[in-house]
Amino acid sequence: MVNFTVTTATAVSASQPLAASELAHAVGADTAWVVQLVEVGILRIETTETQPERWQFSSADLQHALEARRLERDFGVGLDAAALILDLQHEVRRLKAVLQARGLR
Amino acid sequence: MEFKDYYSALGIDRTASDDEVRKAYRKLARKYHPDVSTEPDAEKRMRDINEAKDVLGDKEKRAAYDALADRVARGGHPEGDFQPPPGWDEGFEFHRGPRQGPADHADFSEFFSSLFGEAERRGAARQNFRARGEDHHAAIEITLEDALNGAEREITLRAQTVDAQGHPQWENRTLSVKIPPGVHPGQFIRLAGQGMPGHGGEPPGDLYLEVRIAPHKLYRVEERDLYMTLPITPTEAALGAQVQVPTPTGGVVEVTVPRNARNGLKLRLKGRGFAGKTPGDLYLLLDIALPPADSDDARKAYEQLAQATASFHPRQHLGV
Repeated sequence: MVNFTVTTATAVSASQPLAASELAHAVGADTAWVVQLVEVGILRIETTETQPERWQFSSADLQHALEARRLERDFGVGLDAAALILDLQHEVRRLKAVLQARGLR
Repeated sequence: MEFKDYYSALGIDRTASDDEVRKAYRKLARKYHPDVSTEPDAEKRMRDINEAKDVLGDKEKRAAYDALADRVARGGHPEGDFQPPPGWDEGFEFHRGPRQGPADHADFSEFFSSLFGEAERRGAARQNFRARGEDHHAAIEITLEDALNGAEREITLRAQTVDAQGHPQWENRTLSVKIPPGVHPGQFIRLAGQGMPGHGGEPPGDLYLEVRIAPHKLYRVEERDLYMTLPITPTEAALGAQVQVPTPTGGVVEVTVPRNARNGLKLRLKGRGFAGKTPGDLYLLLDIALPPADSDDARKAYEQLAQATASFHPRQHLGV
């Protein structure tokens, strides 16, 4: 059976950010886990607010949280190690993009 | 539907211990990780091994699967003609583990859904479980023009719904999505209420679509910046020029090529990339195209150029 639905989408952005609880739900976690990601530096908040309910997250944050969740689930790594792996992963992607830009890949 | 052999997906035999299942999974998860794998079917293999680990890594599911595999072996089902026998899972109760990601099971096979999808929901219903539906994740590839200008696109998803009797079922759902203008690669588009159905009368989850930009014949995307190769003549490079350049939003801008521009020089058109708090730029990479010396006039012009620039030695640094 095919169902046809017309729906309006919103882009997750600075003007329409995700709350900590929404980010947590999107990755199948709870807000306490999001707080841990902020503590280890996987997520960066641009505010001095300490209350998680006042934090706001972007698409890049959602991407980082999903990647951290997968590392935890697939390899059982701790969040400190996940932070390092994600930094290295992003550096590899950046270098690959530079190589591609110079026609070397 | 094909009966899936989860043991061969992980490359282990039926006597493998929990620890062996975990080790086999991690080894393959590293092999097929999208950042390191060069295998063309890495994404599909990753889905298969995730599905196999979900079943074999859970005592109840593994026991039920083993019992079913025995029944199938005795019944001699022809390949590709598998249907789970009624009541196959009696005596087993399934649940989703706390470490599972959002709606992971939505990416799993029809075989998995037919075995465990309904059983998991029944388990949740028995426990009077109430929760908003899980958010679902998918990717959408759109053209650069659609990303910059916005568009309406149809996408078809395999989605779980609940029928009038409360039984979950999978169906193909076509969504017509209005993509807002200015989305950039890696950004998520959120469709409220289009995720997995809620449990115990709670609302459904949301659907997140990760934006991917299809390859473009003129522009290359790098985060929020765009790159385009701009061919120019040697005369334009040497003397400087005003040249017309198409922009990805459909307009044309005039760009100044500076005098003595070298091949590969990068010109930046500020803010002409993807919009955002820090908007991206459009970079033009100069590519000096030599006119062919295929006429007397052209050959003469090259000879005159050689005479006029006789002191120019591009290979001087080679010492020959």
